Amino acid sequence: MSDSPTILRDAPAIAPVGTATRADATAVPRAPPPPDDGVPRPYGTIFAFLLPALTLYAAFTAYPFFRTLWNSFHKVLPRRSEFVGLENYATLVNDEFFWRAVRNTLIWASTSPLFEVTIALLLALALYAKVPGARFFRVAWFTPVLMSYVVVGILFVWIYNYDWGPVNAALRWLGLSDLARAWLGNPNTALPALIAVTTWIWTGFNMVVLLAALHSLPKEVIEAAELDNCGWGQKLVFVILPLVRPTLLNLVVLSFIGKMKIFDLVWITTKGGPLWSTETVSTYVYKRAFEWSTFDLGYPSAIATAWFVIVLGAVLTLTYAFRLREKLEY
Amino acid sequence: MEVLKRSALLLGLSLYTAFAAGPFVWAAMMSLRTTTEITRDHFALPVPAHFEKFPLAWFNSNYNVYFTNSAMIVLSAVAILTVVGAMAAHCFARYRFRLNRVLYFLIFSTIIFPPQITIIALFQILVQYGLYNTRLGLVAVYVAIQLPLTIYILETFFARIPADLFDAARMDGYSEWEIFWRVSFPIALPAVATTVILNFILLWNEFLYAVVLITDEANRTLPLGIQRFMGDQLEDTGMIATGLMIAIVPVILVYAFFSERLIQGMTAGAVK
Repeated sequence: MSDSPTILRDAPAIAPVGTATRADATAVPRAPPPPDDGVPRPYGTIFAFLLPALTLYAAFTAYPFFRTLWNSFHKVLPRRSEFVGLENYATLVNDEFFWRAVRNTLIWASTSPLFEVTIALLLALALYAKVPGARFFRVAWFTPVLMSYVVVGILFVWIYNYDWGPVNAALRWLGLSDLARAWLGNPNTALPALIAVTTWIWTGFNMVVLLAALHSLPKEVIEAAELDNCGWGQKLVFVILPLVRPTLLNLVVLSFIGKMKIFDLVWITTKGGPLWSTETVSTYVYKRAFEWSTFDLGYPSAIATAWFVIVLGAVLTLTYAFRLREKLEY
Repeated sequence: MEVLKRSALLLGLSLYTAFAAGPFVWAAMMSLRTTTEITRDHFALPVPAHFEKFPLAWFNSNYNVYFTNSAMIVLSAVAILTVVGAMAAHCFARYRFRLNRVLYFLIFSTIIFPPQITIIALFQILVQYGLYNTRLGLVAVYVAIQLPLTIYILETFFARIPADLFDAARMDGYSEWEIFWRVSFPIALPAVATTVILNFILLWNEFLYAVVLITDEANRTLPLGIQRFMGDQLEDTGMIATGLMIAIVPVILVYAFFSERLIQGMTAGAVK
């Protein structure tokens, strides 16, 4: 994700069509590749290949994007809209619910990656140490990622159920019935409980990626460390971790982005409640646009735009900070 | 000592496996039990197994409609995505033209967009064009949201195909379209399969766009249907569990046959 191929790759230039026959090609030694400008580009073909994708992109991604920006400066009612300038943004700054949603989402996005990646690293190291049945574990742990958030949400509504959910059942069985509570119904525990759910979902995914990274490490380096009588702990800290660092950082960014967008899970389990304790920016935008009967699509568009800028800024900052550290240390 | 360590490690891993897979096993057991049985004991084995609950949910609780809708919408979106995405990816990887990288980057960068930035306007646009609350509208939106990832995965693969192959094909008189369809595409089949499976799973599970753009009972996809059923029949735990299983089965089937390819696809963006 972070190493998006922005640099112009050396794409093979198109040979002039129909100028060389097979005989020419063998008889004449190949001339050095002609300068880029001399190569005719089949613009018609290029256009034809790109047209469907670009049309869809323009109609269902680019146009809606700009329309949201436009919306955010207007009051958008079903039949008419009027220009209000920065009024929506001014409202936003003083919108208590918005800031709660931002706070919740940021807590989610900043804690989840730590849990997910740390547990995933431990599991990946365990499998890397050649445990029997590693293949089975790997496939089994990955399963939660494949399930719809709707399915997972309902499952966890049951798991956290006060009367008969397995969590409380286990606590009571252990004699800790004081700790049993309606996990999703309590403003203090609802958000941590949901963070636990996303951790449950994504740990397996992170594990698989890390395991792949571990397996692609150069064998010689690790063997050299072993020859130097490096213990497991030292090998981990001084050899393995620095080598998989890029992967770790990518996973952190990826997990962060995912949590900044989170909607489905909250919508199925708590709808942002109780008392806005699990409201995320996504659910708040949805509520303001389609649930509260304000009929104004301008204000939610302003929230979406502001959030877009924040997400973009956060992702760029994270990527930049990680890159910078990389440079400093090597 | 070594043995002890090994067994402790295995025990830990097995515990985590129970933690990761337990919820599904539990739901699967409940899907075969009636709500009365479940209320008596939530963790008992499904004995006797009530397989008749599946046809019951399928016909009486509208799951046949939801399932058919999901299948139609997702399969058409995946088919369009594969062709449109592969054409664009082939073009980005193969031809050198001004704006190549600019266009590629424009499309690629939308991967990190939060969906809210388009969804409100998408709602307005679909209403305007009479596509709101239609399956066609949802298909179009699904294609658009998965296009960046599809192009990204395929472009990476197409770019690695040696250019000599194309020169040879060209000398054999293949047209540009034939080169794509009869040279590039078949060679890239592994990558194409990855995107097909990946898009299938992601769209099968999609909820946000569906909940905003579909309201009619007759057009609901599975995630919407489940959510509705959950809202209406909150107490009917057994039947909800059966519904969950109906939604999960296709995913499990795909995973059973293509687990490696699927894992590869899901992690494609993350490695490196």
